[in-house]
Amino acid sequence: MENSKIIIGYLIYLPIVVSLTIYVSKMLFKNGRLFMIDIFKGKEDIALATNKLFEIGFYLINIGWAMLILKISYYSTSGMSYQSLIEILSKKIGGFSIYLGVMLFINLFFFFRGRSKSRQSLKLTTKPQLKTPK
Amino acid sequence: MSYNILSYSIYIPVICFITVKIGWLFYKHGEIFLLNIFEYNKTLVNSVNNLLLIGYYLVNLGYAIFTIAYWEHIESINQLINTLSTTLGRIIILLAVLHYNNILILTYIIKSKSLKQ
Repeated sequence: MENSKIIIGYLIYLPIVVSLTIYVSKMLFKNGRLFMIDIFKGKEDIALATNKLFEIGFYLINIGWAMLILKISYYSTSGMSYQSLIEILSKKIGGFSIYLGVMLFINLFFFFRGRSKSRQSLKLTTKPQLKTPK
Repeated sequence: MSYNILSYSIYIPVICFITVKIGWLFYKHGEIFLLNIFEYNKTLVNSVNNLLLIGYYLVNLGYAIFTIAYWEHIESINQLINTLSTTLGRIIILLAVLHYNNILILTYIIKSKSLKQ
């Protein structure tokens, strides 16, 4: 009887976490396409392939982490009440959501960085061409 | 039904409403600043704005849900109101601080950009 509430907890936790990860990753890489095209200087096929690969990596990391922190360890002689189930679940789901947000911002930071780097190198390669009078 | 579960069922809708509403307002009114920063590149600004909104929702709602885990044990209606208002107030003040921080960063970026030109 005591185990059944933990299993209910898992059944609530897993769908929420997996659907959240899929949604965030879909949105992130749908909007990140522009950055990728900028980073690869307009070579669209390479940019889209890299984007897809990064998306798969994002899924793997986040769903793997979600499964790693799945375990609910709760021991009590009087059984588990719904209140403690809610509290444990809120800690797990809220913590995972914060983690996902931080991952999103890190990814966004990398996008910006890659974009500004590729722009810098573009400027560096075009400048000498302008200066040499041939 | 214990008082704790009652307080959770009041707390979650209120905080979700506040967070979503504020995020939406920032999303709409912050676009003009982003346009200024990204040299009026409309599609890029749209995607950046979307991602910022999603990140904001994830972190804030995540934190709001996370606080439930450390909720104190409630035994009376009086205590319920006290705890609810303290927690809500703390999160709203946190949001306000983050908001002013954002405005400062935005003005700083725009100033340094206009100095460069």
